[in-house]
Amino acid sequence: MSFIEVWNLIIANPVLNVLVALSHILGGSFGFAIIVLTVIVRLVSWPLTRRQLKSSKAMQDMQPKIQELQKKYGKNQKKLQQEMMKLYREAGVNPLGCIWPMLIQFPMWIALYQAIMSALATTPESLLGLAHRLYSWDIVSQAIPLSSKFLWLDLGQPDPYFILAIIVGGTMWVQQKMIQAPSVDPRQASTSRMMMLMMPIMFGFLTLMFPSGLALYWAVSNVIGIITQYFFTGGWGYLKFRSPFQSTQ
Amino acid sequence: MARGWSGTIVHDGIVYVGTVDGRVVAVNSSTQSQQWSYSIDPPATIYTTPLVNGDLVYIGTYSGQVYALTIIEGTDRWVYPRSGSIGSIVGSPVIANETIYVSSSDGMLYALDTKYGDFKWKSEPLANKLWTSPTVTGDTLYASTFDGNIYAVSAETGTLLDWAFESEAGFASTPVIYEDIIYVGSFDRHLYAVEIGSDTPMWKFPEEKPADNWFWAAPIVNEGIVYAGCLDGRVYVIDAESGEELWQFESSDTQGKLVPIVSSPVLMDNLLIVVDESGAVYVFDLSTELEDEAVPLKAISIGDDVDVKSSFCAQEGLVYIRDEDNWIHVVDIDKGEVSWKVSLTVEE
Repeated sequence: MSFIEVWNLIIANPVLNVLVALSHILGGSFGFAIIVLTVIVRLVSWPLTRRQLKSSKAMQDMQPKIQELQKKYGKNQKKLQQEMMKLYREAGVNPLGCIWPMLIQFPMWIALYQAIMSALATTPESLLGLAHRLYSWDIVSQAIPLSSKFLWLDLGQPDPYFILAIIVGGTMWVQQKMIQAPSVDPRQASTSRMMMLMMPIMFGFLTLMFPSGLALYWAVSNVIGIITQYFFTGGWGYLKFRSPFQSTQ
Repeated sequence: MARGWSGTIVHDGIVYVGTVDGRVVAVNSSTQSQQWSYSIDPPATIYTTPLVNGDLVYIGTYSGQVYALTIIEGTDRWVYPRSGSIGSIVGSPVIANETIYVSSSDGMLYALDTKYGDFKWKSEPLANKLWTSPTVTGDTLYASTFDGNIYAVSAETGTLLDWAFESEAGFASTPVIYEDIIYVGSFDRHLYAVEIGSDTPMWKFPEEKPADNWFWAAPIVNEGIVYAGCLDGRVYVIDAESGEELWQFESSDTQGKLVPIVSSPVLMDNLLIVVDESGAVYVFDLSTELEDEAVPLKAISIGDDVDVKSSFCAQEGLVYIRDEDNWIHVVDIDKGEVSWKVSLTVEE
C-alpha cells in the first residue's frame, strides 16, 4: 500500500465523509459542516490542548522568576538559557509543549483542504474522483453534490472581500497575544513582537490564496482557541499587557 | 485539474474528437491520419463530444463557448458568444429543429441557431450548474440537475413548462427518454424511471439496497430494455417497464477488482458494447439469451495503464475510443483486436 493510499484510508477519506455527512445533517450547508467539524477536531485534540494550556499557564506563573533571570543574566545568553531550562525542569514545564497541538493540526489542514476541494467538486474530474472516495452511507450519497455557497463565501474559492483574512489574522493575533509572555530582554522582546505579527500576517495572506472553506476552519479554530484559553487560564492573559516596564513600575 | 474527456464521433469515415490541449481534430479513418486540427484560442479544456450536423461539426468548451467548424477544412463558421463566454460547458450539446441546445455551468440552457450561431433564447437558471446534456423529444427539452430536479422546458421559447420532477438525491447522468419515460442515474446509487407528467418514480433500480456506486453514465434503452453502466463496475440490464433486473455483467481486472464504467454503453446492430475505465472492451451478442453473470462474446483490451472516461462510438464493426493520454484506439470487433491507433498529441 502506498503512502497516499494509507493517507486516504485513515485520514483524508474519513474527514471527507464526515464533512459530507455533516453537511447533509445540517440541511445541506457545507459551511456549517466545516464549523461543526472544527468543533469536533478541537474536542478530539482537547487532551493536547489542555496540556498546552497548562504549560502556558505554568509559564505565565513563572514570569516573575523568568524576568528576574533575564535581568540577572541578560548579558550572558548561554547562562540565561541554562538557568531558564533549570527553572522549567524544576517546575515540570516543557517550553515546547505548546508546539504539538499545532503540529497535530497540520495533517488535519491538509486533509481538510483535500476534502473541501474534493467535496465541492469544482471540476468534473474531481466530481468523478469523489465517487471512489465516498463511503456507501445513505447520508453521504444523499448529500452529493454539495453547494459551495455559505454566507458571502464560495467555499471552494478564496474570499474576494478580505473579510476572512482579517478575521483569521486578527483572531490568531489575539490567541497568541493571550499566551505570549513579554520579555524584559529588548532583543528577545523584539523577536517575540515580530513573531507575534508574522504568523497572523502569514495566515491572513494564506487565506487570500486558499479556498475560504479552509480559512473558515482556521477562523473558527482560533475563536474556539481564544474561548478555551480565556476560561482555562482565567482571563485575557497577556492581551491586556502593555509593556514590561509598566508592570514593574 | 480540468483535463477534459471529449468523446469520439464518426461521420463519413472521419473521426471527430476534442483533445486535452484544446483542439478539435478530424482523423481520416482510411488513412489513419489527421485531416485537420483546429486550435481553440485561448486553449480550452473540452468535455463535450463533437456533434456533426450537415457540413458543420459543433463542440462546446469548458471556457464557455460553442464552436461550429466546417467538417471539410476545420475552419470556424461561427463561435458563440462572439466575445466573452457563457458558463463552462460540460454536457455535450444536442441538435433538434435546426437549433443547438447547450447546458451551461451558469445553470441555464441556451438555444442557438445551428447555421449562424444566433442566440435564440436562454432558460431561467435551473440549478447552480448544469453539467449534463439536455434531451429533446418533440417540442420539449428535459434537463436533469445535480440538486435532484428534472425540468421540462419549451424547445421553442425556453420557458419552463408546468411539469417538473423532484427527487431527494441529485441526478448524476443525462436523462434518456424512451416511450415517454425518463431514465436517469442518481447520486443515491439508483437508476430512476420517471414517467413524464408523474410526481413519483415509476421504479428505481435497485429497488432495495442501492448499487455500490453512482449511475454516472447515461443509460441506453432499446426495445424495452435499459442498459446501464455503473461506477461500481457493473452493467445492469433492466426491464424498462418493470424495473426488474434481467442480467448483469461485472467488469473486473486481472486481480478480480471491479473496474468503474464511466462511459455510456453503445449498441451496434445486435451487439452491446461496453468499455470500462481501464480500456477493456466487452461485446455482448444480444440476439443470444443472456442471463445473470453474462459472458461477453468478446473481451478486448486496448492496452495497459489506459484510462477511458470519454464517450465512444461504434460503426461498421469498429469501436472508436479516446483515452486520457490523447490516443484514439480503433477496435475491430470481428478480429477482436485494436485495428489501429493514432496519437492526438502535437509533436513539439
